[in-house]
Amino acid sequence: MHHLVLFNIIDQIRSLGWPGAFSLLRNGLVLGSLYALIALGYTMVYGILKLLNFAHGDIYMVGAFIGYGVLVAFGGALSPTIPIVPLIILMFAVSMAGSGFLGVAIERVAYRPLRTAPRIAPLISALGVAFFLESSVQLLTNSAHYLYNGYQLGGKNGNFGPLLNPVFTVDGIPVTVVQTLVILTAVALMGVLVYLVYRTKFGKAMRAVAFDREAAAMMGIDTDRIISMTFFIGSVLAGAAGVMYGLYLGDTYFFLGFLFGLKAFTAAVVGGIGSIPGAMLGGILIGLAESFSTGYVGGQWSELVVFGLLIGFLIVRPTGLLGSHAIQKV
Amino acid sequence: MLKKVGVVAVLAALCSVVVATTAWGSAKPRTLAAATGSVKCGKKVTIGVAYPETGPAATLGAPQWDWANFAKSTWNKSHKLKIAFVRGDTQLAGNNPQAVQVAHAFASNGKILAVTGPAGSQEMEDTASVWKGASIAPVSGSETRVALTRALPGTPRETTPGYFFRTVPNDGQQGDNVATFIHNVLKKKNVRIIDDEEAYSQGLSLQVKQDLQAAGATVTTDHISQQNPDYNSVITAIPHNTQLVYIPWQVPAMAQQFYSQLRANGDKQIVMGSDGTDDPSTFKGAGSYVSGFPVDTSASALKSFQKAHNGDPETFGLPTYTSVMVNANAINNACKAGHGKTTRNAVRKAVAKVKLSKSLSLLGFPVQFLKGNAGKFQGPGDMGGAAAFGIYQIQKNGAYTRVG
Amino acid sequence: MSDTPDTPGPPEPPPEPQSSAESGPKIGVDSWVASHGGRSGRSGPIGSISRAWESIPDVARFLAFVAIALSLPFWLLKSEGDLFNFGLFTLLFIGMGLGLNVDVGFAGLLDLGYVAAFGIGGYAYALLSSGYYGIHWPAEVVIPIAMLAAVIPAAVLGFSARRLLGDYLAIVTLFFAEAFLVFTNVSNPTIFGKGITGGANGIPQADPLTFFGYQLTSSKQLYFFLVGAVALVAAALYFANQSRTGRAWRASREDPLAAEVMSIPVNRLKILAFIFSWAVAGLFGAIYVAILTSAVSTNYSIGLLITIYAVIILGGLGSIAGVFVGAIIINCVFVFLEPQTDHPEAKRWIFYGVIILLVATLKPWYKAVVLCVGTIASGFIVHAIVSATAGSAWTSGKTVAGAGWLSHWVVIPKVSHGNVNNLLYIGLVVAVVLVAMLKGWWRIIALGPTIYLAAVVWENVLTENPGVTAFILFGAMLVGLMIKRPQGLLGTARVEIV
Repeated sequence: MHHLVLFNIIDQIRSLGWPGAFSLLRNGLVLGSLYALIALGYTMVYGILKLLNFAHGDIYMVGAFIGYGVLVAFGGALSPTIPIVPLIILMFAVSMAGSGFLGVAIERVAYRPLRTAPRIAPLISALGVAFFLESSVQLLTNSAHYLYNGYQLGGKNGNFGPLLNPVFTVDGIPVTVVQTLVILTAVALMGVLVYLVYRTKFGKAMRAVAFDREAAAMMGIDTDRIISMTFFIGSVLAGAAGVMYGLYLGDTYFFLGFLFGLKAFTAAVVGGIGSIPGAMLGGILIGLAESFSTGYVGGQWSELVVFGLLIGFLIVRPTGLLGSHAIQKV
Repeated sequence: MLKKVGVVAVLAALCSVVVATTAWGSAKPRTLAAATGSVKCGKKVTIGVAYPETGPAATLGAPQWDWANFAKSTWNKSHKLKIAFVRGDTQLAGNNPQAVQVAHAFASNGKILAVTGPAGSQEMEDTASVWKGASIAPVSGSETRVALTRALPGTPRETTPGYFFRTVPNDGQQGDNVATFIHNVLKKKNVRIIDDEEAYSQGLSLQVKQDLQAAGATVTTDHISQQNPDYNSVITAIPHNTQLVYIPWQVPAMAQQFYSQLRANGDKQIVMGSDGTDDPSTFKGAGSYVSGFPVDTSASALKSFQKAHNGDPETFGLPTYTSVMVNANAINNACKAGHGKTTRNAVRKAVAKVKLSKSLSLLGFPVQFLKGNAGKFQGPGDMGGAAAFGIYQIQKNGAYTRVG
Repeated sequence: MSDTPDTPGPPEPPPEPQSSAESGPKIGVDSWVASHGGRSGRSGPIGSISRAWESIPDVARFLAFVAIALSLPFWLLKSEGDLFNFGLFTLLFIGMGLGLNVDVGFAGLLDLGYVAAFGIGGYAYALLSSGYYGIHWPAEVVIPIAMLAAVIPAAVLGFSARRLLGDYLAIVTLFFAEAFLVFTNVSNPTIFGKGITGGANGIPQADPLTFFGYQLTSSKQLYFFLVGAVALVAAALYFANQSRTGRAWRASREDPLAAEVMSIPVNRLKILAFIFSWAVAGLFGAIYVAILTSAVSTNYSIGLLITIYAVIILGGLGSIAGVFVGAIIINCVFVFLEPQTDHPEAKRWIFYGVIILLVATLKPWYKAVVLCVGTIASGFIVHAIVSATAGSAWTSGKTVAGAGWLSHWVVIPKVSHGNVNNLLYIGLVVAVVLVAMLKGWWRIIALGPTIYLAAVVWENVLTENPGVTAFILFGAMLVGLMIKRPQGLLGTARVEIV
């Protein structure tokens, strides 16, 4: 049975050829950028609070909904009342701001009182927030699916709009505007984040708090403010990812954060949780792994392959790719 | 001291086990209260509605509840005997197997005379014995597995005849229809089927695959999880010479998204969806095909429902309307025959005899339940006569026109 | 007081904590401070109840539980539906919680793959005791096999995870659970001619439990059997906890490095904890499938895992009695709030009752009174304003079931408007966030209209959607519980040494 499966895979690789491989590579990079953005939120919060914020995937979901709200407020994808470029910028801006404030609010209400509680307490609190957010959005939207129809944005009579124009073509496979938009925006945001964390005084404060919160407080850093800002930045990234999801993949509903969040969380762990470059790397890797395994192995085994790889990977290298060994004190 | 504790604990546990296995009968099927008691009809009767209110499948449950409520208000406007609902949240594919809990709760609730739902075929599997013990025949608007009403070689029948009815054609009928259309009308010989890993989808996929392969077509299959919205890689994996992609999915928004991504990728295959994707307000891919109920879109009942729900016809829930009407009619008839009093058993037998005209069922065909096997896939509990799905083609302006 | 530098007076006592008595976790980095609550005791009626509870010896509590449980089908759970939903499922949750309590509570591991063990036990039972492959072995043979089937992956995972610290272990186990779901639902490899896990349909029509020829088919029989099984498992785990192994588990939970230095084989203990825990899961997984008569992969989702975690956290990690309490509260409240339990008036009173209880815990007492007055007054004011300005169509609606007089206080429009309801709900969430951020008297003042808004939202929105409401309340309960009392009801307060 095993050699049959292997033959099928080799057959599939051959039949898809180079165009297929490039297409899967492209898909993987775009998906990976989304995962990377969400994974950054997970990893930043873990680095600074040692907390696995299970509610992060739902902040991403709320970001997608806010973007949809803005889109509909200006006429919807099929008949927008303002030109597309300002519309997209507005969607990003409002969604990022909204998600950012949501993240800060969650931190104030659900995590701050538990700063000194045993580690499982904020974990359970995060699960509670996740449940609450999912069920609230379900209540507000009556469990419906909403479509951005981003491909038709700006098009006439329901045809595809400019978002689908190819930017360049390799071997007959187009890379469209929306895909380039996703990758470039993700890269830009990650660049801004890296600048923020490693080149500014504020970033230095963040790293200090992540390293040793007490000592940082003794040095005069307002740890509460830094922690809130960390949540804000992480949630802003998730909000941006939400809008990108809407434009690229489109189907918005209350449960979309769950599987996406889980995979992004995987990415953060594979890259080494607590490490920002690790999250980016992990995101891209998971995106590529998923894309290639779906293309070559087939939908029913692809998730199993990804999860199996991860378990194996963690067992061999427990701290992830770029993570550091935690020093245990007696 | 601890040893004494241990001895006492073990003795207590053993006692209860012995008590359990020897008392209260041993070979009787699950006994349930309020099974055959007589209930006064009075002015109001209660129907239990089991549907997924929460959980990942809540998107499918909401239309069912909306249509059930519409049925209730329509009935109550024109009949003296009013119906009231008790809801049961079955959380299809969710937390716990709540369908079983709902079944027990409904069975013990003496007020409930008939049940609409549950929504998932695997839920019926688990609860068939509970309903039978309670003398209730659930009338489901979305359970489509063939084995629920018809024994086929290799799969025994899963419910007892007379204890299950459905107001929706089953997977065998739909799959057969679709395969015949693909092969005879569209004349496509190279088909790819992508299912969404749910039981409904896999049942249809299997049926269509068997039929098409028997007719000599080449069929390849793939799967994608209902929670994974990125179809790009699945689209890339579609073999080059595929002519048609069949997606028996449950969520129209996903079908529309798949269509968009397929076209955006430059692929020209024809897309065909199942009745789960039948939704003119969402799935608008021009040139695609969908199988769905031959609903009379000009019917005034449909129009007033759409007006109340933002223009969305929520066609997934339409058979639930029919199911509530069937139950209401059955209870009404049983109450009349029993002169104001009736039992669950009487209602159950009345359900088997209910006949609804085309305009009352809203399904585009009159409803009448079979008493025995019929055709290749139908059995007692299925709808007979003209009950079948139609095939629709989506035009450029999004309109659905019937082609098969 | 003297302020000459050479004779300093006695040190001043530390200031009293601002928040109301023993709410929130203690500040401090050692367990002496953390157990402050246990030393000074709780005051008032709750204090005397907890003291009375603690003075009863464990054995007596256990026997009392067994006796009450055995008697329940005769007076409280007479209807079969109630017995099934409230009785059987509570006992199943107790059983599942007992298993999870071993590796999370006793040994301090973070095991997120527990449902996979539950599922493995269930599938093993279904495969060996059903018509699927035609094997109909009796339960006394199949259940040990199911437990063994669940233990094997536990040993493998435990062995390979010995290098993984806390969070990474959690992740690996979580992925194992997800992989299990994917494997049973989709991958479903064909063995002996049929897909071994039955795919999305699962394995149907499993046999009822058959012990030495006796079949357990009715709910009453299953209930008594489960009481016995739960009692046995609880007793066994109690003894395990009291033994050297239990002490070693506790040591490796509190400080693994120090335990290792004291020659406790921490890695082996981890594996042992996994094995115990997953064996119990296998046992109850098999019983679960026998009750439900089929094994379907969607039964073993992450949602179930979170519910079991909520059970043991509510009861208190590491406390066996806590598991009982937690399971009873969570399952009974959840099932009660579900729409199929047809008592809409009672559900409303639970909501108002909880609010009144929470208000009553405010100290000093005049704060609670002010809050009550404020809430009721703001309600009437809003009601008057709305009926004056927007007309009677907005206030003449009726409540969903019973208590019609409430419509004079709560604004219930005749026809519910979806958009208004959504705005009200979002407004409520914003109000709650604001209340959490204010302090002192400002908080009390903001709380009044917030409670009224909560009542409006309850009557208009939440009672229309009881299933979703149960989840919203569940999520809110988890957050509130952790903030108020992270050690759960019967757990001991701990502080982690970082």
